[in-house]
Amino acid sequence: MNPKDDNPSGEVARTLVEFLEVAITMIVFLKGFYPSAAFERRRYMNVVVQRARHPELRDYIHSSAFGLLPFIEKGLVERVAVIFFSEDSVPVERFIFKLTINPSCAASVEEGQLEFALRSFLIKLPVSKSLVKPLPQNCRWEVTAYLRSLPQVCSSKAEELWIPTDTKQWQKPPVITPVKSLNSEPLCLQLYVEHPSLSEPQPCQA
Amino acid sequence: MKRSFGSNSSNNSSGSNKKTKKKATNSSNQKTLGVAWGAASSRSSFRSSPFSDFGSYMEVKNQKLQNQFETEASASASSHGVSDSEKLIFQGVSIFVDGFTIPSHQELRGYMMKYGGRFENYFSRRSVTHIICSNLPDSKVKNLRAFSRGLPVVKPSWIVDSISANRLLGWVPYQLDQLNDTQPKLSAFFAPRRHLAPQVALPVTSCQPETGYSETEEGSSIIAEDAEEARDHVDDETDGVYIENTTPEMTEETRTNDLQSSEVNAERLGNNDIEEKQVSSELQFTPNLLSASDNRSFHASGKHDGKSIAPTSGSSIRRHSTLEDPNFVENYFKNSRLHFIGTWRNRYRKRFHGSSNGLKCEDSGQSTAENAKKSTIIHIDLDSFFVSVVIRNRIELHDKPVAVCHSDNPKGTAEISSANYPARAYGVKAGMFVRHAKDLCPQLVIVPYNFEAYEEVADQFYDILHMHCRKIQAVSCDEAFLDVSDLKDVEPEFLASTIRKEILETTGCSASAGIGGTMLMARLATRVAKPAGQFNISAEKVDEFLDQLPVGSLPGVGSVLKEKLETQKIQTCGQLRLISKDSLQKDFGVKTGEMLWSYSRGLDHRSVTAVQESKSIGAEVNWGVRFRDQQDGHHFLQCLCKEVSLRLQGCEMIGRTFTLKIKKRKKDAEEPVKYMGCGDCDNLSRSITVPTATDDVEVLQRISKKLFGSFCLDVKEVRGVGLQVSKLDSADPSNKGSRTLTSWLSSAPASVHIGQDDSLFAANFRESSDCKRHVAGGVSRLRESNSAESSFQSGDTNSSLPPMCHLDMEVLENLPPELLSELDETYGKKLFELIEKKRGKRKINSNSPHVSSDGTACIKGPKSLSVTIYGLSTSREKVYEEPHVPHPSVARTSSERTIEITDLMPSSLSQVDVSVLQELPEELRAYVSGAFPAHRKQQSSSDAPMETCKKQDQEPSGTKDAENGIGFSYSSLWFGNPPLWVEIFKVSGNCILEKFSEIYYKMVQSRPILSSVLQHTISEIGSFHDASANYLDKAVYDVCELLKQYIKLKVEGDIEEIYLCFRLMKRLAARSQLFLQVYEILSPFLQASINEHYGGSLSIP
Repeated sequence: MNPKDDNPSGEVARTLVEFLEVAITMIVFLKGFYPSAAFERRRYMNVVVQRARHPELRDYIHSSAFGLLPFIEKGLVERVAVIFFSEDSVPVERFIFKLTINPSCAASVEEGQLEFALRSFLIKLPVSKSLVKPLPQNCRWEVTAYLRSLPQVCSSKAEELWIPTDTKQWQKPPVITPVKSLNSEPLCLQLYVEHPSLSEPQPCQA
Repeated sequence: MKRSFGSNSSNNSSGSNKKTKKKATNSSNQKTLGVAWGAASSRSSFRSSPFSDFGSYMEVKNQKLQNQFETEASASASSHGVSDSEKLIFQGVSIFVDGFTIPSHQELRGYMMKYGGRFENYFSRRSVTHIICSNLPDSKVKNLRAFSRGLPVVKPSWIVDSISANRLLGWVPYQLDQLNDTQPKLSAFFAPRRHLAPQVALPVTSCQPETGYSETEEGSSIIAEDAEEARDHVDDETDGVYIENTTPEMTEETRTNDLQSSEVNAERLGNNDIEEKQVSSELQFTPNLLSASDNRSFHASGKHDGKSIAPTSGSSIRRHSTLEDPNFVENYFKNSRLHFIGTWRNRYRKRFHGSSNGLKCEDSGQSTAENAKKSTIIHIDLDSFFVSVVIRNRIELHDKPVAVCHSDNPKGTAEISSANYPARAYGVKAGMFVRHAKDLCPQLVIVPYNFEAYEEVADQFYDILHMHCRKIQAVSCDEAFLDVSDLKDVEPEFLASTIRKEILETTGCSASAGIGGTMLMARLATRVAKPAGQFNISAEKVDEFLDQLPVGSLPGVGSVLKEKLETQKIQTCGQLRLISKDSLQKDFGVKTGEMLWSYSRGLDHRSVTAVQESKSIGAEVNWGVRFRDQQDGHHFLQCLCKEVSLRLQGCEMIGRTFTLKIKKRKKDAEEPVKYMGCGDCDNLSRSITVPTATDDVEVLQRISKKLFGSFCLDVKEVRGVGLQVSKLDSADPSNKGSRTLTSWLSSAPASVHIGQDDSLFAANFRESSDCKRHVAGGVSRLRESNSAESSFQSGDTNSSLPPMCHLDMEVLENLPPELLSELDETYGKKLFELIEKKRGKRKINSNSPHVSSDGTACIKGPKSLSVTIYGLSTSREKVYEEPHVPHPSVARTSSERTIEITDLMPSSLSQVDVSVLQELPEELRAYVSGAFPAHRKQQSSSDAPMETCKKQDQEPSGTKDAENGIGFSYSSLWFGNPPLWVEIFKVSGNCILEKFSEIYYKMVQSRPILSSVLQHTISEIGSFHDASANYLDKAVYDVCELLKQYIKLKVEGDIEEIYLCFRLMKRLAARSQLFLQVYEILSPFLQASINEHYGGSLSIP
């Protein structure tokens, strides 16, 4: 965290990043990617959430979320995706956070309001288990951010943690299942799940 | 009415339509101002009444009221028994009271009755002479002319005061404060543009002396009004402030001011008439005549405004930043010298349009044959223009050091903009802080700008130049090149001295002249000649002159280039000449190298040309910009947009690319030395290109807001904002109304079409392939004739460029290559040739519009292709009467413009972006609704008469042609609280729909979303009784429309809600035929819009 930076837009971005960290953990927990013993119950925004126990996992999620902070502050981040891949690196499920921050009205928003709004995501997530598909064997996952434009120069260390990626895409437009939408000033955030379309050509099971 | 003819006379073919329309509205004299329509609510009662229609009813009613009034009046007169002659001070005055007044309108009526006036209950231009009101809503202030019909709008105190004075006082001082401002305004600058605003018509001719007042008075009032209107164009957001300023304490002062102003105005008016005549005799070029004289009169009134205000603005505390002053933008440009220089060019172009036109024609014939040897150029420059104009009437200052600066603040942090020669002798230079200048020269006199005088002198200056020479290139307001090569009988030196003498006599300012063989040499010669002299560099002296000339004094050699040259030990042009062109080009780039090489030899390939078309138009403010919050920023942007829009309109240009430049305070930058300056800043800029060129202020505002948002910065850091419009295209004044319309409509399909463009394209494609042979042959012919035409027209901004022929080729070029090659194949591989040819031609025609390759391009492509076909079809009509052509009627329409509009309009309202329509101002929306039925008549197979569409506006009646005919009222179903649909559904007659609205009303406090309404519907309605087939269609259609709009509303930010709604819809569909149909109809639409925004399809389990 960057205590020097106290402009209101940064405030929103920081809250969002914090939220993303929690939400990503929740998603990973929800997917049952790791045994549930790998998580511990915590309270965040007055909601019961999960937190990774394993320091490396925790660190990965934390650093990837906070690595986004400078990009979010610049308004570059369009979507943040938690992607689950099958063995052959084909995505099977993507949780997408689509976000838009309007820095202009950031000044007027109260911390409490934003938290209240974001909490609804954390409440909705655990009950969305029915949406998700069981994971295949030997899968892996990653966090990917889609930026509006490529950043010019990495100015801080945190930014350097993020590297350009060339993730495999689906060939057909995916099927979208919305989970939660938040449409307010200064933050618009939508969480939805993407699954490959039924007509998606199956990767050859070689 | 003269007014409407005056403003329309410049229109060509399409103008006639408008004229008749206007006449139609004007002929109905019985215009009610929003009060009378209450009577119309009980329509049914008419049928039994003896009146045939509303009009005759009102006539009789008015008559009756009048009779009542008269009897009462005579009764009161007799009862009081005072002699009539003494009392009838309001004889001939007939008032109409609008809104709340003190005294009340009943009391006013009593006064009128008592003192011989008349009181009208209903407004009519014919019988009313004064409108009395103490407050006007903003909308009426903005559209004053529509509201008052040119009648004076007066405060009620006029009547009260007249009675207490026992005579009829002049109403001018009592003019409504809202309309009547004592605030400084940009009038001087906007003067030339005003005639473009449609409601601001010729002031002198438009007034109809029906009242008992002298004509001058009437005229002056209208001028005041016009100025007012113009101000409103500039700034309608700040009305609150004006009202604030006109609180009772101030009215006294205001009145006296006004009185003076109206007097001066009357004088001015007289002058105007003379001036106008002069101008009209001067310019024999009829199309320009009108605008020129128009300019003048407005200009005069503008000038006057500035003058009467000057003392007050001087005494009051000037507010210096966007923080304190809501009129900042306006005032900024009022006080900006750069702005003056910038806008001056347009003024000039307008003024001397006719003569420069002549020059162009001549030029085109000669330019190639022109011989560098023979030419003689005179460069004339007024000496220290900005100073000498101000002090020209102050002889005591003539030999004192004087500098012009916007402020003579003791802090001395303002920058000097110009200094006269005595001051320059002390080392005072432009751009220097006043403080430093005063250090150098303690007795320096600082004078403020006087923009009116600048304008006046600049006009005089060019008047003189144009008298002597036809080939003039105006460089700036005080600087011009004359090409006197053709004037063989006059010695250039003699001519120059004559001109200089005349300038000195007329303007009181001295001018310097340089004579040379090229523009470069003339300019360099002027530098030697200054001040107040002239210098001739003859061809043989060129080398000698240049030998010792420091490189830095060449135009185009700035400090950076100079330093670079100095590192190579090049200080004079003589040294520069020793270097070969190649090595210069290697070191400094091709262009700069070439320039250095030829300049050092005194060569200059430019020839004297008339004012060039500007490539971009914009406005930038980087002084005094301080925002507290986002709202400040947006307000500022709005003002800036208005300014830019006015400038665009002033140049009669429309543009497509909008660039927003922001100066953002550098992180560690301190408060700048220059008071309220921008200091050390990062410059950011972003631009956006829209498919259709526009000058519409609302579009500008929308775009700039978007751009501003995209910067994602803290508004407090913003130190400067600039908005630039480029990719300009000349606006055709005859299409002014419809142009804004097209821009709206075509911007709408850009966002909506995408899901449908395949089919659309396919349709158009078939069409064009059917006609390919004719097109291939015809297009080239058409284009040839066209390019000839355009070169002929290019000088005249009044006549439009033939739009479609330009457009289509450009679009084609910008089509994605796959599409293009596909098209090319159908054209028998001729398309590429055409494009190549076109490219060659375009190099000549520099001001052709650019078409972006964004979303719409691929849609517009085939469309404009089909336009071309129609254009051709005038010669080959037979081909197009085959049934497969969807709109044969279009081919026969004579006006090309209508064709274009038709094609830009989406084929049905369902393709229009609802949100855009919602944002439209009322009048525009009316335009659209007016345009659509007509448009549809051509497009749709069913020939539904216009009346049905109109009926739809009032209440949705069952329409069979559901795909095509979508009543306009539906476009805003989600507008308002409760949203419009609730009302519509309530009276729909369908039980399900009625249930919808009932449920909505139950939850109305929470402003429920649709999903909760649907949820309740499911739980509350056990079984659905589907209505008869006849009603079903309509209900299906209604619900579809509702959901469509809902999707559009929510798709961007809240797919969760859409998802919920459709899941509920699916459940409903299982139980009701109605919802099944709706669901089936809407599913593709839903998926298309989701796909557009999220690149996927929504899963609905």
